[in-house]
Amino acid sequence: MSENAEQFAEQATAFQKIWTESMSKLMQTAFTFSPNSPPPEVMKQIRSGLFDALAKSWEEFMRSPQFLDSMKQWMENAVSFRKMNNDFIAKVRNEMQAPSREDMDSVMLAVRHMETRILDRVEELSTQVQALKNGAPKPAKSRSGHGSKRAKPQSRKRVKG
Amino acid sequence: MTTTANLSNPWLQWQRAALDESFNAARRMSVMPSLWQRAQRVRKGVTTSEVVYEEDRLKLLHYVSDAKPRHRTPLVFIYALVNRPYILDLKKGRSVVANFVERGFDTYLVDWGVPIPADRHLTLDDYINGYMVNVMDYLRERTGADQLNVLGYCMGGTMSAMFSALHPDRVKNLILLAAPIDFATREGLLNLWTRPENFDVDKFVDAFGNCPPEFLQISFMLLKPVQNLLEKPVNFYEHMHDEKYLEDFLTTEAWLQDNIPVPGEVYREFVKYLYQKNLLTQNRMPIGKHIVNLANITCPVLNIMAGADDLVPCGQSTPFNDLVGSKDRKTMLLNGSGHIGLAIGGRAQEEIWPQACDWLAARDC
Repeated sequence: MSENAEQFAEQATAFQKIWTESMSKLMQTAFTFSPNSPPPEVMKQIRSGLFDALAKSWEEFMRSPQFLDSMKQWMENAVSFRKMNNDFIAKVRNEMQAPSREDMDSVMLAVRHMETRILDRVEELSTQVQALKNGAPKPAKSRSGHGSKRAKPQSRKRVKG
Repeated sequence: MTTTANLSNPWLQWQRAALDESFNAARRMSVMPSLWQRAQRVRKGVTTSEVVYEEDRLKLLHYVSDAKPRHRTPLVFIYALVNRPYILDLKKGRSVVANFVERGFDTYLVDWGVPIPADRHLTLDDYINGYMVNVMDYLRERTGADQLNVLGYCMGGTMSAMFSALHPDRVKNLILLAAPIDFATREGLLNLWTRPENFDVDKFVDAFGNCPPEFLQISFMLLKPVQNLLEKPVNFYEHMHDEKYLEDFLTTEAWLQDNIPVPGEVYREFVKYLYQKNLLTQNRMPIGKHIVNLANITCPVLNIMAGADDLVPCGQSTPFNDLVGSKDRKTMLLNGSGHIGLAIGGRAQEEIWPQACDWLAARDC
């Protein structure tokens, strides 16, 4: 608990620091304007300067470790909430004997694995045919992109849908 | 007694400004009732097009011109999987596509469509070695051209570079537009936020499936929070009575709000292999069972960048020309332009696109 409190205190301190710096930059900008400009233009210049100063401060804050930590925490909470939601809905669907997202994912993955195996096999056969045409020995399997005789990726014709 | 007012008097200037502002306020009020309807009627894409090929969610658009194409090799635009591609054909006078169509190129654009939840398992291999190869094969049959010119924008540029490295025989000329290649730079906030210690992409994709469009929108908005949350509404309020400004604003905003999800596995690969491990520049980027080697790109390349791009800083695009095997390499940098300014900015239309068309025309032989 004390660790959380310390972390919170650190973040609050960093946030307070960035706001204090922003305000001081804003005040500095507000009072540096050309005295020869007409008054409405002066206001626009002040406003533009204020926005620039604020943007720089926020950019620094968003690069700070405190912001990154709080962003990471927020993301983790969002992911946990989503996962809890997914699990709950999956349980409800299972109880109702209806297909859940996990069931669909399993079917999709099975189909994709089959597709990958078939396409890999077609690619191997194509390479062998090409090698036979060229009169060269069967090329060894390679994961490298080097070499002009490497197997070219085969297009995977899909059913138009 | 003077008959002419002395307008150098600050009090008179303030009075005049107050009077102008009250008239402008009245004009703004008159525009407001029709604002919502105008926003709904924004046209998405201006150059006449027809759908010539479809596969799953993908549509291949062909831009129709009255005149016959003057250049032999067709040009195909590959856009990112994030946002909609009509940014390249946003409005009259601000259309990248129209530049090439008017210069006599037979022009096509790949609209990836909107992924559905079942697309969460699609990978970069499916897009590059599946869809893109099928599109290129179709265009070969349709046009009779053995090779094609490819223009990739943003993530589409990264994908186009990978495609050109894996299928160098299919690409005649390659143009990259603000394409991230080298992710080692820490210039951009996205590079920092996606570091492994700050972002667990595996947990994220396992929980959400496709990357939600709202998440992407918030991320992009946070890159410039003051500009997006303060300056933009203030500027809009000040200029909404200006017809031209309003039209530009509504058109651009319609596109900015038109986010789409990104297939989960593509998002995982992009973040993990590119943002976190930067495998592309090391020639270790896996696409299916193949490894991308950028040195296999030997066609002429044109690398276009925006000097003030906060989404894809120049540092991410610049190294590309040194990594390819091409002898004919050129870079164009538009200083002061942002990421979408390269596509819709007035200066880009005047300075970049005519030159890009000249570059491509000179290499179409």
